Amino acid sequence: MVRNKTLGSRTFEIANIIVLGLLLISCVYPLWYTFCVSISDKSAANAGLVTIFPIGFSLSPYKEIINDRLFFNSFWISIQRTVLGTGFSLLVTVLMAYPLARPKKDFKMRNTFMWILVFCMLFNGGLIPWYLTIQNYHLLNTIWALVLGGGVPVFDVILIMNFFRNLPKELNEAAVVDGAGPWSILFRVYIPCSIPVLAAVALFLSVYHWNEFFNGLVLMNTSDKYPLQTYIQQLVVNMPVGTNLTPEQYKKLSELSNRTLNSAKVFIAMVPMLIVYPFLQKYFVSGIMLGAVKE
Amino acid sequence: MKRNMAMLLSVVLLGLSLTACSSSKDSSNDLKASSNPDTSSEAPALSGDDLAFSKFPKPVDVHIGMAVDPTDKTLPEGDSVSNNQYTRYLKEKYNINVIVDWTAATGNDFKQKVSLTIASGKLPDGMVVDDRSFMTKAASSGLLYDITDLFQQYQSSQVKDIMASTDGRAMENASYKGKMVSLPNITVDTDGVHVLWIRKDWLDKLQLPVPKTTSDIEKTAKAFIDNKLGGDKTIGIAGPSKNSFPYSTFLLSSNNMGGFDPIFGAMDAYPGYWLDNGDGSVSYGTLTDNTKKTLALLADWYKKGLIDPEVGTRDNVGDPINANQAGIFFGPWWNGGYGNGDSFKNDPTANWQAYPVYSDDNKWNAHMKTTGSTYTIISKNAKPDVVKAILIMNNALVRDEATFDLSVAVGWYPLRNVMAAANETEYEYAELLKVLKGETQPEDYNKPNSLYKLMYADAKKVKDVIKAPYDDLNVSNFSTANFGDFQRLYSIMIGDRPFTTIPIDKKVYSVTYNQTPTMETKWANLKKMEDETVLKIILGQAPLDSFDKFVKDWKAQGGDEITKEVTELLKK
Amino acid sequence: MRKLGHQKHYYLMLLPGMVWLVMFSIVPMFGIVMAFQNYNPGAGLFKSEWVGWANFKYMFQLNDSKTVILNTFIIAVGKIVFNLLVPLIFAILLNELRSLRYKKLVQTVVYLPHFLSWVIMSTIVIGIFGYYGVVNTVIGMFGVDPKLFMADAGIFRQLLIGTDVWKEFGYNAIIYLAALTGVNPNLYEAAAIDGANRWQLIRRVTLPALTTTVVLLGVLSLGNVLNAGFDQVYNLYNPLVYSTGDILDTWVYRLGLQNLQFSLATAAGLFKSVISFVLIFISYRLAYRYADYTVF
Repeated sequence: MVRNKTLGSRTFEIANIIVLGLLLISCVYPLWYTFCVSISDKSAANAGLVTIFPIGFSLSPYKEIINDRLFFNSFWISIQRTVLGTGFSLLVTVLMAYPLARPKKDFKMRNTFMWILVFCMLFNGGLIPWYLTIQNYHLLNTIWALVLGGGVPVFDVILIMNFFRNLPKELNEAAVVDGAGPWSILFRVYIPCSIPVLAAVALFLSVYHWNEFFNGLVLMNTSDKYPLQTYIQQLVVNMPVGTNLTPEQYKKLSELSNRTLNSAKVFIAMVPMLIVYPFLQKYFVSGIMLGAVKE
Repeated sequence: MKRNMAMLLSVVLLGLSLTACSSSKDSSNDLKASSNPDTSSEAPALSGDDLAFSKFPKPVDVHIGMAVDPTDKTLPEGDSVSNNQYTRYLKEKYNINVIVDWTAATGNDFKQKVSLTIASGKLPDGMVVDDRSFMTKAASSGLLYDITDLFQQYQSSQVKDIMASTDGRAMENASYKGKMVSLPNITVDTDGVHVLWIRKDWLDKLQLPVPKTTSDIEKTAKAFIDNKLGGDKTIGIAGPSKNSFPYSTFLLSSNNMGGFDPIFGAMDAYPGYWLDNGDGSVSYGTLTDNTKKTLALLADWYKKGLIDPEVGTRDNVGDPINANQAGIFFGPWWNGGYGNGDSFKNDPTANWQAYPVYSDDNKWNAHMKTTGSTYTIISKNAKPDVVKAILIMNNALVRDEATFDLSVAVGWYPLRNVMAAANETEYEYAELLKVLKGETQPEDYNKPNSLYKLMYADAKKVKDVIKAPYDDLNVSNFSTANFGDFQRLYSIMIGDRPFTTIPIDKKVYSVTYNQTPTMETKWANLKKMEDETVLKIILGQAPLDSFDKFVKDWKAQGGDEITKEVTELLKK
Repeated sequence: MRKLGHQKHYYLMLLPGMVWLVMFSIVPMFGIVMAFQNYNPGAGLFKSEWVGWANFKYMFQLNDSKTVILNTFIIAVGKIVFNLLVPLIFAILLNELRSLRYKKLVQTVVYLPHFLSWVIMSTIVIGIFGYYGVVNTVIGMFGVDPKLFMADAGIFRQLLIGTDVWKEFGYNAIIYLAALTGVNPNLYEAAAIDGANRWQLIRRVTLPALTTTVVLLGVLSLGNVLNAGFDQVYNLYNPLVYSTGDILDTWVYRLGLQNLQFSLATAAGLFKSVISFVLIFISYRLAYRYADYTVF
């Protein structure tokens, strides 16, 4: 590649490096900021004075977390939920994507089912009927409410379906000639060919399950059943509405406003995602590309 | 394909029948509960306090939903929300088994859970809700037990006295359409009287007098900031957070830490209250000219940098106060002591003192609160024994709270309902002073079933916490060795001093402290409009003139209709 | 015919998913009737009083509904537009980088915020935009007075859109970067030999390679014009910014779970569903007609 090194070109390159560098910093800053607050002096952190560097130094939040049974409990629930929920949804999603990827001449009802799916994706009866239904299934306060609540992500079904559709038709035909049925075609031919998109979907699902807080709040009855994000949410976002507190509640509240401890918890909660995603990165990039863009 | 549709349909029907089935079960329960409301399982010989504290012959299961504090660390290892010193006490003394169906963190999470249980129509036997609209919604949906008769039978003499101390206001508060459907919470009157809290040590440093009027406060706040008494980022006056309000209202009429209630009072303005105009008409306090003038004053202070620049967006009112950045804030008696514990921990010389704020013609005006704002509601499906058990739990707490080991937060008491005589704090202030001066002895207060349930316990420890001289109490008179005791006694002796010792010139009550029928659908919208307008004017984000538009909109969008309803109430 | 014999298996494969949809999506959908009732929890869905369209009429009488719909629309459209453009620009800039290691590093790091939940991001955003936060510190260096970003209704929407774009731009750029890897390097060389400068290269080679993707993504996001992002708003807003920051989803949430107006909340939710459904349908047709793309 031949490019003229004009002055303008050089300026552009340097500017470009700087701009991208700033973006890079802005994306690392959240981690750094949270970490700084977590090790700063408590009053300075509460007053919102920490910006770029920690003020003071204290590891006491981390010491406190080590003894926090509920925190680790929630952490463990989130891991369970993420593993089970991702596994369940991935299986169901793949099973649905395959028949739906068949052309209409192979599978007559395909379009009907597709529209049912889209309909379900868009319409819902609202939070309260949904809650009542889960209550009637006696799933409240069990991890299954969280696992099943994620259920069938229609968007991911579409993604995998499009990927399947783009696989060479010969694959299917050759297998049929060999006498393979739909099940073995799916499991022996399609799935091995679709690792990138499946990895991408697995990542979507686990990000969803790891980050979701609202179902945890609504469907779990006691805090020892909360997943991690719900546990954190009740500490950092849920604040009692001010005016009808009793003195004792208020006293507690001032302890609740504990940014250093909360930041330490937030920081620890980020870690699993940070560990997982570099490993899956190479897959999801190609997975997203192939699933969404049809050349 | 047909077969498939049939299958699909049958699954749909299955799901439907599931819901149908459970709801029909409910309604049969309804019938049962209402057709034989009083099947007592015990000998009816007992009465009075014997009945009020009777032990069940067989264990009674009480299912509850409760708010918990996610940061509380006071439960000993191994104890839980459904097994702790309080539940064991109830089991041993009264044979009551508390079963906790669900918990949620105090605040929005709890409200959300309560809403969902009300929406599902399946209430636990008992829960304590912190908003009257929850109680009325449940009552109007026919979900609540009519406890009118059982309460008369089962209330202890203490509870009866406390109820009587409110002149029937508590009973009215707890009732819906003439039936008592909840246990009211009764808090001390002084919870609704907001005073000026100020760093006396800062005043002394600058040799300033205690400010009396709004213009004094302005000068003082400016002096605090100019002299950087709280460091570079000194805040003159701390204000409400994102979850609290600039003033308390008829629905939330007390405990507004960080509000500007005393400033409004000093300007003879009572926003958020329904005012009796004395001529048979009613007006809503927010709409008055005095409110507008006060808003102009506050906006001016904000512009001059006297009020916390982050007012209205902080997570917690107490943050700048506890960090000792702020020199002035407003709130009820317990805000100094209970409310700002960390301030004393961070600076043991922080001499917070409480004073009234006077109008320019030297009057102390204060709006007064309703009896209480939480309600213990009991499910219509609860068995009569369960209802009795809940009443007994309330009696027991009122009688025995002072004897509990409070190192375990009393918030863990199941269905904890605060019932205190309306003048408890004033009584304690006066009597504790006598104890300090040796005029009375702690043992003089050892009276079982006293209306003032914490008096004896406080009398015993007051001398350990407060050192002489007793005439002019400052933070230096207090020992913080037992911080919990320090906080309580500081709040009583310093925070309640204005209300106990200085007569209020003008006490303003709201015509109603409850929602009228139209409010049930329209108030949320009007309140939102009000909150936005008021905060924006204070923060200078909207011009003062937007107030007039607000008044017009408020009236047009249901305010006039509601005013009529409140006027009707006044006629009664 | 053998092929038709497979249908049985296809149904079997769809079965688990369909059972789930029926149990967790279709059964709760019967709750939609609440929107046409004055729902009374004591009476239940079957015995509550029917009120026809009254809830919808009341909803549109409320000033709130107009504000909320407008906010939702502005915020969602803002997010759609900037989530298309910013990643596009970013992808182009990244494509211009010479150092492959630096490129790889930037690429890896900018995905990061996408993986953090709004529960966590909100604590960070509130900190950064706080009165003494880093943003105020930086603009303070240029002599600008500190601002209360989180309380300023005038900029709250921009803040929502900006933080969302910031959180997602790296991730959203993946698809563009993927499309760019498909560009034949010979094209650049040919153009460079013609004497094209860098800007002309971008305009003549890079951009055309991305046009289809941009158009397609734009069309597909049509269904999102009423999705302004509950998690983000719920964790960031406060009463001071309701006038510009309150969206349909948070409004429905407050109506239902704080003000106990169950029927009104369901009506508002249904309104949103219907509009979204129509829009998805339109985008499906558009994508099919103009990009020959079958979405599903």
